[in-house]
Amino acid sequence: MSKLSKPTLLWLQSITCNGNTHSFFSHPDFVALMQKFEIIHHPILNTKYTLEDVVKGNLACDVLVLEGAFKKNGMKKMNKEIYTVAKNYAKKAKHIITAGSCATFGGMFRQYDTQSIGGFCFDDEVPNEIYKLFKKKLISIPGCPAHPRWIGSVLSMILTHRQIPLDELNRPLEIYGYNAHVGCSRSEYYEWKIDASKYGHKEGCLFYEHGCQAPFTHANCNKILWNEVSSKTRVGTPCFGCTEPTFPKKNLWHTTTLMGMPANMPIGIPKRAYLTIAGIAKSFTIKRLNEPIIKYKK
Amino acid sequence: MKIKHFVEKVEGETELEFDFKNGIVNNVNIVFPFYRGIEEILRDRDALDALVITPRVCGICNHAHLLASARAIENGLQNAGVNINLTPKAISLREFTLYCEIIQSHFKWFYLIAMPQLANLNKLEISDNHILKASWANINTVKALAIFAGQWPHSSYIVPGGVTCDPTYEEIIQAEALIDDIIKFTQNEFLGLSIDEYYKTKEISSIKGDMGIILSMLKNQNMQEKGKSYDRFLTLGEHSAFTTGIYNQSLYSDANITYVKEHVQSGSKAKSVSYDNQFCEVGPLARAMLRKNNFILDIHNKYQDSALTRVCARMDELINLLIYTKDLLANLNVKELSCTLSKLPKDLEANGTGIVEAARGSLIHQSTIKSGKIQNYSIITPTQWNLSNGLEQSYGIATKAMRGSINTQEANFIFRTFDVCSVCTTH
Repeated sequence: MSKLSKPTLLWLQSITCNGNTHSFFSHPDFVALMQKFEIIHHPILNTKYTLEDVVKGNLACDVLVLEGAFKKNGMKKMNKEIYTVAKNYAKKAKHIITAGSCATFGGMFRQYDTQSIGGFCFDDEVPNEIYKLFKKKLISIPGCPAHPRWIGSVLSMILTHRQIPLDELNRPLEIYGYNAHVGCSRSEYYEWKIDASKYGHKEGCLFYEHGCQAPFTHANCNKILWNEVSSKTRVGTPCFGCTEPTFPKKNLWHTTTLMGMPANMPIGIPKRAYLTIAGIAKSFTIKRLNEPIIKYKK
Repeated sequence: MKIKHFVEKVEGETELEFDFKNGIVNNVNIVFPFYRGIEEILRDRDALDALVITPRVCGICNHAHLLASARAIENGLQNAGVNINLTPKAISLREFTLYCEIIQSHFKWFYLIAMPQLANLNKLEISDNHILKASWANINTVKALAIFAGQWPHSSYIVPGGVTCDPTYEEIIQAEALIDDIIKFTQNEFLGLSIDEYYKTKEISSIKGDMGIILSMLKNQNMQEKGKSYDRFLTLGEHSAFTTGIYNQSLYSDANITYVKEHVQSGSKAKSVSYDNQFCEVGPLARAMLRKNNFILDIHNKYQDSALTRVCARMDELINLLIYTKDLLANLNVKELSCTLSKLPKDLEANGTGIVEAARGSLIHQSTIKSGKIQNYSIITPTQWNLSNGLEQSYGIATKAMRGSINTQEANFIFRTFDVCSVCTTH
């Protein structure tokens, strides 16, 4: 590809912790991927243009990556409202990527002021007034942070003109068509309804008491793993549903129950079906699953 | 003459308002423009929610925030008469993952900030190799961390009483192999010396590799004479690799959290912090001084708390922690419990303070829990120590260091030697 034909990429931050920037920087092919674009501005990379140039609004922008929650008034950089700057580039861009739950739904920083802080095109799961304007070129990559490969793969799909099937919240189905439970190393305990009574063990499921949201969270974390090696549930931490428009819920370490059963069902599973299977599974005691997997000698 | 300068890249944005007098920097007003309200977001939430919310203060030192929030709850439990009794395994895992985070942050500082900015100051052209090196070092360091913590950034694997993971030797070996690779990289690329040679050398002039280039660029800019502040250092977080205390013009004494005070600053969303009404430098140089690290004490003897000394301390800390992480892994006993506490009481009443050494210095979380819910939460971040503006009679740490600079570019680099993190500062 000649230098001239590289698409331009502008990474713009609003109200953020920079978590998506640092997450994406942990992508094994970060440098190679970024070299396929002409980078107009990026929070880490040295770029030809400064943020001062960016906020003037005159630069090229084929792919706009947004990070952080938005506030229409009162989030200024170099005396310019960053929301206005983002909207301006969004009109120019061929593709808009909201990287992370803040840019997509409002996420963590929406919690401070739900009246005035939200995602770029959604407030939680509700499309806002500019959604219609941008929905045809919007790709949502929620997650707190977004997994490095989610951002990397979507950028590569754009470069190679591959089809990106999306769901109703503009999330790529190849990523968010799965739930975070798929690939969980504790799935046997889930199937047989055996709870992890305490933290710090390889054994047991975190869905029944410890607040794990993996079965109803759209994400492929346990399929592709984090940092190529692990995931929250693999290290005994419950999934907190960080890709969902409801993130962050309250009482994150406790399962909400209704009459002793988890109140939230796995995606698409009718309560009656779940209760029937759970009842049967619970009626058996599986010896192997009630013992430690590994017995080290004292 | 007033000049505004905008600091960007790597960790958020900051505005520096320079006041020049007779051609040199006389005063600098440091402005952090946006407040995100994390402390308010925490209010009325379940006590344990802090373990998920506070890492989101910062994309680069989220793990330090996680540990501080767990320590705050544990300290509150202890104050309420509950025994914690962390196992050596849980302590070592927490230390290992925290040090990995410090290591990745330091590598990013050297390759993403120091390298390009010093090249700029020295009017040298450099290739993009430094980005590739930062990326490689970062990927492998956070991978070693994630083996135990599940992911980076934004893990929540530290809980009151220990950690949630229960690693196997097979996983520990995987982490050891990654650390060995990073040590090789450090020897071949970063230092241009073997670790043994590094520890034998008493002279920074014998350091080669990328660090050699950085050191010679620093010397070219006379950074051994510049960037000096109050020569007053503070380390508050308790860790096996660090020593707590305060150093004030050659005198060492114990540090006590009750002397820490926050002050509102007009025009900035960041509060300043003082210890016994004085500003103190925190971070790698403070830790080296309190640890009485001979190599850094020698450099400090020659060049005091100059920009060069500060950078050397960051380099030396990176090497020391990297080598030390190997010991932590080698001595892990998988048979011990990972977590000694079960559920917290529903009606928990606890007041606690959690203090941690993050990459940039001492981080403090204070929580008040009533009926199991967070009633009040207060966070003091490392950059608040180093980057606050002065009180009426005294300049802040970084401002004092920048005074006397001949231009904004040089002052900006001195500012950067403290490793700016604006997202942390205005949590």
